[in-house]
Amino acid sequence: MPRLSICINTQTPLVQFRGVAGGSLLDPAQAESVELDRLREGVDYRFSPGGVTRMVYPLVKRLLKDRVLSEAHWVSLNPNAPPTVGIGRLTLHNVRIDSDRMAGYGAVKEAIWGRIHDLDPTERHDDLFWTEAFSEYAYYNRATAELIRRLDEAHDFDAFYVHDFQQMPVGHMLSTLKPKIFRWHIPFEVSAIPDQWRAMLRTYLDAYDVVVVSARRYAESLGLLSPKGRVLQMYPYLDPADYSRPGPAAVAEVSARFGLAPDDEVILVVARMDPMKGQDVAIRALAEIADRHPNAKLVLVGNGSFSGSAAGLGLSKAQVWRQQLEGLVAEKGLGGRVVFTGHVGQDELDGLYERCRFTVLPSVREGFGLVAVESWVHGKPAIVTQRAGVAELIRDGVHGFLFDPDDPGELARKMDRLLGARGGGLRPRLVRNGRALARKCSLDAAIENERSLLTEVAEA
Amino acid sequence: MSVLGLLAPLVPFVPVGVILLATAVVGWIAAFVVGRLLRQSSPPLQRAARQLTAGTIAVIGVTLALQALGVNPAILFVMIALLGATALIALRGVLANYGAKYFSDIYVPFKVGDTIEVRSATGKVIEINPMTTVLLTEADQLVSVPNDAMLREVVVNTSPQAWKEVVVPVTVGGSVDLAAYESELLKSLAKLRSRLDPRFPPVLTTKSRSAQSADLVLTLMLRRPEDRDAITAEANKRITELLERARSTRRT
Repeated sequence: MPRLSICINTQTPLVQFRGVAGGSLLDPAQAESVELDRLREGVDYRFSPGGVTRMVYPLVKRLLKDRVLSEAHWVSLNPNAPPTVGIGRLTLHNVRIDSDRMAGYGAVKEAIWGRIHDLDPTERHDDLFWTEAFSEYAYYNRATAELIRRLDEAHDFDAFYVHDFQQMPVGHMLSTLKPKIFRWHIPFEVSAIPDQWRAMLRTYLDAYDVVVVSARRYAESLGLLSPKGRVLQMYPYLDPADYSRPGPAAVAEVSARFGLAPDDEVILVVARMDPMKGQDVAIRALAEIADRHPNAKLVLVGNGSFSGSAAGLGLSKAQVWRQQLEGLVAEKGLGGRVVFTGHVGQDELDGLYERCRFTVLPSVREGFGLVAVESWVHGKPAIVTQRAGVAELIRDGVHGFLFDPDDPGELARKMDRLLGARGGGLRPRLVRNGRALARKCSLDAAIENERSLLTEVAEA
Repeated sequence: MSVLGLLAPLVPFVPVGVILLATAVVGWIAAFVVGRLLRQSSPPLQRAARQLTAGTIAVIGVTLALQALGVNPAILFVMIALLGATALIALRGVLANYGAKYFSDIYVPFKVGDTIEVRSATGKVIEINPMTTVLLTEADQLVSVPNDAMLREVVVNTSPQAWKEVVVPVTVGGSVDLAAYESELLKSLAKLRSRLDPRFPPVLTTKSRSAQSADLVLTLMLRRPEDRDAITAEANKRITELLERARSTRRT
């Protein structure tokens, strides 16, 4: 089998730089190119939280290790980073665009995001593709496509693997007959797409040989739009080897840091601070059972996305959302019962998983929901919104619990059931069946599909 | 022998050189002026007018150069005319197709990818070469239709919403920031929104890209068929103005 050279494109970069203001000696704006192994994780840089680090990076590492790939290049938006970053045979290329173009780009991507997730029916953005902001969105995507074109001239890639809805126009803008794969990570419901958007979406999606979605129902819905290329459904995945079970000392340390007493019954929500993630639903549900379970404590892990972070695009909506949640906590009289941790490192996250009784994924909409898989990897049951892609794998009461995010009462009843399940077979059954699903959403299970996809399109 | 002595035989050719040089310069300037005057027209028409202008001036220049050498151009022209007439008769079919391709690019409303009916053939246009238009039929057959048939016969474009579509070629030099140019062009074209179908915003599609240039096509979808000429002219004007601005920005 020939070894392939591919170019990956994501909006979110794999690595974010802290900069001099963050205590690093490296000024990303001045550096030309760096090798990551010469820098200090946590001091000079950190890996971006979310799917890019959990799914795409392990995939690339495995494909390089298995010698399916000879080299990989990864292009992302990263204004506060050196132009290139080397990680062995993987090279990160950072697109740096002016901050005055960011606002328009950010407005368009948020509008697409909100519409696809059907967050606010009054905010339809029907005329989005005619706005001045859209010209900035096009600017960013064209700048990305131009960089990829120059890299292709130098490296003669075998295929392009584009991730994230934000990057959708890149395939159309690349003037190449080489195969292009697009991975659509967010939900896809054709009914949520305004009529005025459909032609544009078709134009962009038609440029790809394969469009991959995360759940069966998204594939069916995308089929109604009839893109030219193949529609493929593939569950997202993570590499369980990236997760470790922390010892008692580490768990005690993280508990002390966030004020968790030994008899607290911790309910964990791992999600960035975003209204779509539905942390408010979890707070309302906790309020309903707070009297029956006086030791129940809700721990909310996460802060803004890359777009919202200071190291990223600075388009913060996370702070506003957190203030609203803190207001809700006060209104419900839950002071001291809800902990906001902000961003935590992997070791602390492992400690919090170990410390919790179970996890909740309360999103209003969720493309897939890899945090449920993380929960299963850690041997913790998960209560999952029925509007997440991962929900189609879960049988309620067998692999975990499902609930309607419009009904905090239903979530409260299921939290109550798990908090009350001291003995009996419920918890062991959920843990056992959850682990089985985690294997289905593991890199080991997915690697063959990914390898076949890449080699098929490259050799077609 | 002195250098002057060596150059002496070349002296009679100096006026000829001057005439040819002047012809080249005047031809270039005239083509440039014609291009500017027609900047709101379609690029193929601009190109044709520039080539015709430059060609005419070249013929005049060569005639003057021959006269300067003492050659009677009348005999030469008679010979060229006879040869030309013979070639025209021999190649009239080929030339008709070639010319038709030129004009059908401008006046016949179909492009590669459209489905058309012409004569007894119906199919998807997969190639338009200088001689023929190649259709792929539903029976998977290739049908080659001579280009002159496209001007003489009734051509029906059955592609959905074909009447709406205005396709304008855009060529951008390699030194122009393509991302910034596209961004400005989309911004500018959005101002024509009231004349365009709101479901189909302007789209720039890359046909080819190299370090030297980018060949793109701009696709606009009309709201009303009678706006075709006006929208095409307006789009060409905006494309050219923004290109000039991009070039002058680069110079400064």
